[in-house]
Amino acid sequence: MKSIDLKSILNFSAFRPEPDDPSASWKKRFPAERTVFFGLGRTALSWRAINRSGTPGELESVRADPKEILAQSAEHIKPLTDRGWCAVSLSTRYVVSLETNLSRRSGSEEMLKSNARGVLGGRYERGKRYALTHNPETNSSILLTFDEDQTRKTESMFTEAGFRVGRLCCGAYVLLKHALALTNTVKGSEQPLSTFYVVCCEGAVCALVQDQDRWLELRSRTDVYEEDLTPITDLLAPFHSRLGPDIGITLVCDEPMNGLADRLGKVFINRTVTDLSQPALLATLMVQN
Amino acid sequence: MQITERQIDDFKSDRKDITPPLPVVLRLVPLLFYCSIAVAVILSSIFAIQFQFAVQKRDNHKTMTASLGAQTQDTRSQRTALEAQIKKATDIQNWVASSRPLQPLLLAITRSMGPRSSIVDLRLDRETDNPSQIKMNLSMGTDSTKQLDLTVEKIAALNYRAFSPTQTLGRGELDYKATLVHQDPLGRQNEEAPR
Repeated sequence: MKSIDLKSILNFSAFRPEPDDPSASWKKRFPAERTVFFGLGRTALSWRAINRSGTPGELESVRADPKEILAQSAEHIKPLTDRGWCAVSLSTRYVVSLETNLSRRSGSEEMLKSNARGVLGGRYERGKRYALTHNPETNSSILLTFDEDQTRKTESMFTEAGFRVGRLCCGAYVLLKHALALTNTVKGSEQPLSTFYVVCCEGAVCALVQDQDRWLELRSRTDVYEEDLTPITDLLAPFHSRLGPDIGITLVCDEPMNGLADRLGKVFINRTVTDLSQPALLATLMVQN
Repeated sequence: MQITERQIDDFKSDRKDITPPLPVVLRLVPLLFYCSIAVAVILSSIFAIQFQFAVQKRDNHKTMTASLGAQTQDTRSQRTALEAQIKKATDIQNWVASSRPLQPLLLAITRSMGPRSSIVDLRLDRETDNPSQIKMNLSMGTDSTKQLDLTVEKIAALNYRAFSPTQTLGRGELDYKATLVHQDPLGRQNEEAPR
């Protein structure tokens, strides 16, 4: 036994998951430790300090090339962490799609990392990383696809800036799953839910139509908006004619976006808009899960 | 439909040598370690305090022992002096108890002298070792032993018994030596006979 192992037992760190153990929640990995949460877009980088009690701090955001921002601001951001650990939400260069007839074997969602081909079959592409959410009532699934090279580049970019990446995820996908979990709470198909999910996260927009528990259509675009919210409504407007008469809108944003709910109300006339957005929602989800 | 919110999907490149955390039950090991350190510190503190008390107590005992030793020495000295005084007093008591008034004896010897007799020299000696015995040296100016017989008779009348009497007669002088021991008139002989 090395002295470092002995030290880790005496300071109880050996009983906690390792900082880069993806199977453990952020809170368990970094109890009483300051970390930082990055949001990475194509032309923007935002960050938010997470204090020792796991509460997200104020959001800071800069619009420019993320690599340049990181190189310039690393010395300013690093003191916000104790050991340089950070979580990164990628909001660019990913694809969210609706798939059908994927393997539903038990643990298939967890098996994606080790044997993606076994789960995805013919839809599998070499050099991609996947995440999957099955619809328990139908044969449809939401599939998130990341380019492996892109994730490696992102990791090396943060590593070169002196950070240690503890988690790399897709913010819009996390928010979409959060909205699905919040709204679909009754087991079985006796109380089916129909809603139109709109997810906005750091310029990315994801829209999912759920009718009677069936996922009908999904559209995901990255780098849609910056300050102006018009591109969001322009992107979502075509759905109005395709939505059933009783379908409401469920809006989830990483930060509450002033005026977006009203704009959606104007585009989708006579439809109720339920806004699940909360301040620092994505950062809070990152810490809790 | 129910969709549960599971953990966030992580796309980070996995490190191969990630080890799972140790079982929670094994937290007892460091806990016991820290508890043992705390107990050791507490016990050491108690022992240190008790050691201080013990040292203080030992010093007090040493001081008390030295004081009592000095007192014992004083008491011994006083006892020795007292024993010497007791011995002296006992000697005096023995002397006084054993001595008898010699005046009646001297008076009886003097009165026993006849008209033609005189006392030339009379010595009555008592030894400190045996004060009950009186060594008598009597030189009389006489030419016959009758005077001596009369004198001895007077001495015997005073309950003195003469041991080892010797007499020497010559040139009108009679030397008489004897050891006189007082006799109890009731017949009890409370003095040792002369050896």
